Amino acid sequence: MPGSALRVASRPHKLDRADAAPLSFPDPRPSVVSGPYGYAIAGARCTACGHPNATTAPRCPRCGGEAAAALFGPAGTIWATTTIHVASGNRAAPYTLAYVDLDEGPRVLAHVLDGPRLAPRVAQRVRLIARTDNGDPQVEVAR
Amino acid sequence: MSAWIWGVGTSNFGRQTDKLPAELAWEALQEALADADVAHVDAAFVGTVFGSLGVAQRALLGVGLAGIPIVTVENACASGSTALHEAHQAILSGRYERVIALGVEHLTSLFAGPIASDPTDREQATGLLFPGIYAMSASRYMYEHDATAEDLAAVAVKNSRHGALNPRAQRRRALSVEEVLGSRMIAEPLTLFQCAGLSDAAAAAVLGPTRRGSRDVALRASALRSGTSWDHTSRHVWGYDVVRDTARDAYDAAGIEPSDADVLEVHDAFTIGELVTVEALGVDAEGAAPAAVAAGEHSLGGKTPVNPSGGLLSRGHPLGATGVAQLAELVWQLRGEADQRQVADARIGLLETMGGGTAGLDGNACVVAVLQAG
Repeated sequence: MPGSALRVASRPHKLDRADAAPLSFPDPRPSVVSGPYGYAIAGARCTACGHPNATTAPRCPRCGGEAAAALFGPAGTIWATTTIHVASGNRAAPYTLAYVDLDEGPRVLAHVLDGPRLAPRVAQRVRLIARTDNGDPQVEVAR
Repeated sequence: MSAWIWGVGTSNFGRQTDKLPAELAWEALQEALADADVAHVDAAFVGTVFGSLGVAQRALLGVGLAGIPIVTVENACASGSTALHEAHQAILSGRYERVIALGVEHLTSLFAGPIASDPTDREQATGLLFPGIYAMSASRYMYEHDATAEDLAAVAVKNSRHGALNPRAQRRRALSVEEVLGSRMIAEPLTLFQCAGLSDAAAAAVLGPTRRGSRDVALRASALRSGTSWDHTSRHVWGYDVVRDTARDAYDAAGIEPSDADVLEVHDAFTIGELVTVEALGVDAEGAAPAAVAAGEHSLGGKTPVNPSGGLLSRGHPLGATGVAQLAELVWQLRGEADQRQVADARIGLLETMGGGTAGLDGNACVVAVLQAG
């Protein structure tokens, strides 16, 4: 469950608030859906300037125009990448993250399948695949 | 109207589990008030990120500063410098005459590992902790400028040499490139010694109008911005544009150019941060910072010393306290009171802090301030 992973994430005062109610809020991560051409990020595109956004915020972050729901992906290019060597929540270390610029879409943060072994590089092509077991958006390096 | 720094003070930096946040603040406040030779101020602006409810009031009450307006600000790593900026603006606007800027943070009681942003942030929730945010910048920077792991490590080596001369620093040992690169990998390519340590500390400053016969330091200008959208259309790594634009605001307000700065305290929470920042500030051309570091230009004794205190990497990075601690170092430098770390003939000091942790934003906040010897 995404919720349980989130609750483990670093949170101030966890030691002296052991009796506090567990954190509960909607999953803030972008939605990954199965679209006509494979997996896609469910985001929004500005109806005024066309700017794509990975979130469902009501207004465009660039121009303030009204946003309309849109799907992005699955293909994209790695803009930057790192392999994290510290466990985070339910994620065991190491794991690899990448900022992926989806074709004609937004920049999204995703895990890279088998990343620590493959050591992906900037400018490599990737594709969105199903979310990780922890519910994180995920890509695989294109073959 | 102009504003001057009358006095500064800090606690020690590092793991201080035997001290409450307010106790750390009392050390900083007492030193700053004594340094300024005053007992009372009209208002206080306090920066803290994870500070508990009332930490500012608890701190100020303990040094007899009750009954005044107190404003607590959270602007991520730029919280302390935002408190400084707001104190400055309050004086310039005539709202108050004498103001305290305080920063306080006690991180070791809250975190056992890397600091994370808020769990409701979409990228934090995806597993991107702060070292990862900066590692992404390092990845892109190395790709664009053919920079190496050694180029990054050189920043930690330089700042560790400076920190070794700072009796209040958290890391007071000079490190070699091999030690930096050989330390535990945190987020590739950033190793442990390329990440600022978890730190507990406080820093304070008293600001006021011109005084005759003082050793006060002039606050020539300060600027505050938050970033705009950072997305697939952004050409630079995260945080570059907001630092560049905030710096331009500050330079224009002070009537200086980056080449006028004699000494800088900048945001090096991670090694890559200093490289990107000195370029965004216009001190070095884009992609030229590694060569400048290698040539010793940013070392003590070099052309433009950067982070003579040891920076966040060696002095430590108690988030909310950092901006005011940077100010304290620059005041000591511009008064000629920095002992072994003294930059010769320092007249103009530049302070920069930039904080993040909001996905899709080019920095939660950036503050750049220009100081001048009195």
